[in-house]
Parts: sequence; C-alpha cells; structure tokens
Amino acid sequence: MAIRALIVDDSSVMRKIVERCLRQAGMDLGQVLEASNGAEALALVNENTFDLILSDINMPVMDGLEFVRHLKELENAKNVPIVMITTEGGEKSVLEALSLGAKGYIRKPFTPDQVKEHVIPVLGGKS
Amino acid sequence: MSAPTQSSAGNNSGSFEQWRPLLAAAVKEVFSMMVGAEINVPEDVDPPVVTEVTGMVGLAGELCGVFSVRCSKICGSKIASKMLGVPATEAASHISDAIGEICNMAAGNFKAKIDGLQDKCMLSVPTVITGGDYQLYSLAVGDRIELPFLFEGEPVWVGLEVRS
Repeated sequence: MAIRALIVDDSSVMRKIVERCLRQAGMDLGQVLEASNGAEALALVNENTFDLILSDINMPVMDGLEFVRHLKELENAKNVPIVMITTEGGEKSVLEALSLGAKGYIRKPFTPDQVKEHVIPVLGGKS
Repeated sequence: MSAPTQSSAGNNSGSFEQWRPLLAAAVKEVFSMMVGAEINVPEDVDPPVVTEVTGMVGLAGELCGVFSVRCSKICGSKIASKMLGVPATEAASHISDAIGEICNMAAGNFKAKIDGLQDKCMLSVPTVITGGDYQLYSLAVGDRIELPFLFEGEPVWVGLEVRS
C-alpha cells in the first residue's frame, strides 16, 4: 500500500530533497503533503491520515519538538511514526525528540541510503 | 564521510586556524550529499568575492558568531537547480531558500566536527540577503576564516566569524 507522508521543513528545497530521497530509497509513496512549520503540520494532521511524518526541528512559528509534543496528544495521529531531520544533531535535542515520541532522527546532510536506513524500520513493513 | 580531524571547542584562538580544514570538509560534504555535485577549493588564485546572495546563520553559546555563504545569483541558481533536480531557469525562485539551507547545513556539519561543541552551540534559522550593496556589522567581531570555493566555475565564499 502506498505510503502517505507529511514532510515538515521551513525550506521548500529541503522538503523536495526529502521527498526525492524517499522515492530514491524505493518507497512506494502515495500522497505527500508538505508543511513549513509545526503549526501548519498540525492543521494538515487534523484533516488527513498519514503513515509517516518527517520533520525538521529548527523552524519558525512552531519548532519540531513542539510539533511532536502536540502530535502525541492527538488521538488520530499519536501513533504515526515521526522521524526528525535536523542540523541540530546534538545529543540533547535528539534525546528530547526521542523522549517526546519520535521514532528516529536523521542529521543533515544525508544521503538517500541514510534516509532509507532510518525510515524503513519505523514503518513496520508498510514500505 | 568522515571529518579529517577534530579539535576541541575550547580556547578559540588556539584552535581557530585548525578549524579551516574542518570548515572545508563540512562544506564539501554538504555539496556532495545534498547538492549532488562537487565543490572545490581553487588550486591557485582566489576567485573574486561576489555577494549577490548571502546566506547567514547565527551561532550562539560556547561558539558565538556568524556563519556565511556568499555567491552570485547565477551560482545560486545552479545550486538550487542541482538540489531540486530542475533546470536553472525553474530554480531561480528558490535561490534564497537553497543558499539559506546550504548555509544552515554547512554550519551544522561544521559544528558537529568540533569535539564538545554539538550541544553547546545553537544555530539560528538562516537569513538570506539578496543584493550586494550592504555592509554587515556583527557584534561577534574577533577571529575570522574566509574560504573560497568554486562550484561549476562560479566562486562561493564561506565565512566564519567568531567572538574572541
């Protein structure tokens, strides 16, 4: 079944690169929606169903950590696997993301293989 | 890819010059992995400084300063084109976004190469200036590294200014 994905990053270029990496990783992508910050992402989560969310951490309006915090309070989305993609690859921010419920993280810069390595396991065989 | 060497974040003045190869490696990795093309250090004469597009990321914490990437619009368009996988003409509207993200990733990748700095230095979201008729004043006046690169024949200058 095609994966419905949400990509959250304040850079439109980065959102396109992430989507391309997912396709290059051989994932069967269906609907792919984009948001430029956590607040926009929450609005999309309320109106759509996703199998996977990839989110930046360092974003204006609502950052990725706050987004995860809110996401985990939503009954319809709290179990959607979320992988953080960030330049802030320090142990502190990574541990905070994981403690909030993120399933993994990818540090920028990354290769399609690294995206595959981190995303496929969290999909539980859906890819 | 791995960093050639690592230096401690402490004692900025002593380690500052040692950061030059780390900075070069950080930028090269970002281009190789995220742009899908190589960026090279010129072998002989430094290329001209072109400031039509300037990406900047602030550093705060143990390392305080400004990380910058400067290039021409043509170069920015080529970079955005490669990142998006579209012709340069279609990528023109994405130049600022692309240069801002390159600056952000290069700054983050550089920071990751300095032992002990990862959790003690935060990055701002990128700011991008288009147009060259400006003067930048930073409170982080102190040590400065400027590294020239060539991307498809176009000069790209990467700078790091830190408060001493």
